[in-house]
Amino acid sequence: MAVSEKSEARVTSASTSPLCFIITTIGGRYFGFEAEYLLGVRTSENGEFLQDQVVQGIADQVINLAVRLNVATEGRWDRTEGVLLGAGKCRGYVLVEKVHGSLEVHPSQLLPLPPQFRGPERGWYRGMILFDQSVALVLNTAWVLEEQLGGVMAKTESEGTESIVALQGQVQSKSQAC
Amino acid sequence: MLRANGHSQHPETPRSWHLLVFSVGGRRLAIKTLDVGGISQWHESIPVSGRTPFVSAVVRLNQIVLPVFDLAAVLQRTVQGKSFLCLRVKHSLGDMAICIDEEIPILQTLDLSLIQPYRDKDVPAEGSYAHGQEEVPILAVSRLGMGLW
Repeated sequence: MAVSEKSEARVTSASTSPLCFIITTIGGRYFGFEAEYLLGVRTSENGEFLQDQVVQGIADQVINLAVRLNVATEGRWDRTEGVLLGAGKCRGYVLVEKVHGSLEVHPSQLLPLPPQFRGPERGWYRGMILFDQSVALVLNTAWVLEEQLGGVMAKTESEGTESIVALQGQVQSKSQAC
Repeated sequence: MLRANGHSQHPETPRSWHLLVFSVGGRRLAIKTLDVGGISQWHESIPVSGRTPFVSAVVRLNQIVLPVFDLAAVLQRTVQGKSFLCLRVKHSLGDMAICIDEEIPILQTLDLSLIQPYRDKDVPAEGSYAHGQEEVPILAVSRLGMGLW
């Protein structure tokens, strides 16, 4: 079923810019990524994404969110898709089981994480969207690319060409601009 | 000079509490009816990875999404029955859902004189009352999920 058919959150007002997310499945759960950071999607039939991807000479680290989020994915990686996210010089392939497509919602339909969640997870998610009789958790791109940001910072430190603070701000300011 | 018209200037203190008595894993608990937002069939919860103790899922009720407080985990019990119930409670941070046993909860009015301090510390409680040999805690909803109690 197309994402547009599953969507329960269509744009109704032209006065406010809609938000766009890429809806995926990891470990049987729905996760959303901010579409403005999407650089591409790749599909693998044999789990080749378990290694870093090199495309046109650029090495993109694989991000296994299932591990970071402690989501069980046993036997689900036979057919894997990779969502390439990027913000500035930070890029990474996020392993997902399935990319459902893009979903546009009115900003009011991006529900905040309930305040009862009081741990570091408040920085992991941007919010929640009603999707397919369930809920898609929208991930915070800055958190997703956190490790890649560390790598870029280490590289620039050694090269001494760019400010670490400027790179960090690149991801953060773009996230806040949404 | 105005005179009092005979009615008390202070509202009367209630002499009793209206409680909803329910069970989780066979363990009997009570909650003030004022703290209850509703009871419905339990829908499958959606896990939310995180590190908040006992709050690790949400449940969707039509167009709203509520955080789930895992009272069964607090009590180290397993919810009983084939068709669980969803107890919606009014928390100061917003409503929360609690999965409870399928046994239908009952309403009970309890005289204040029967309410005692809750001796155990396994759940936050405003007090307790005796039900036979059993001490039934009256949950302090505002303290659920707020750390140690």
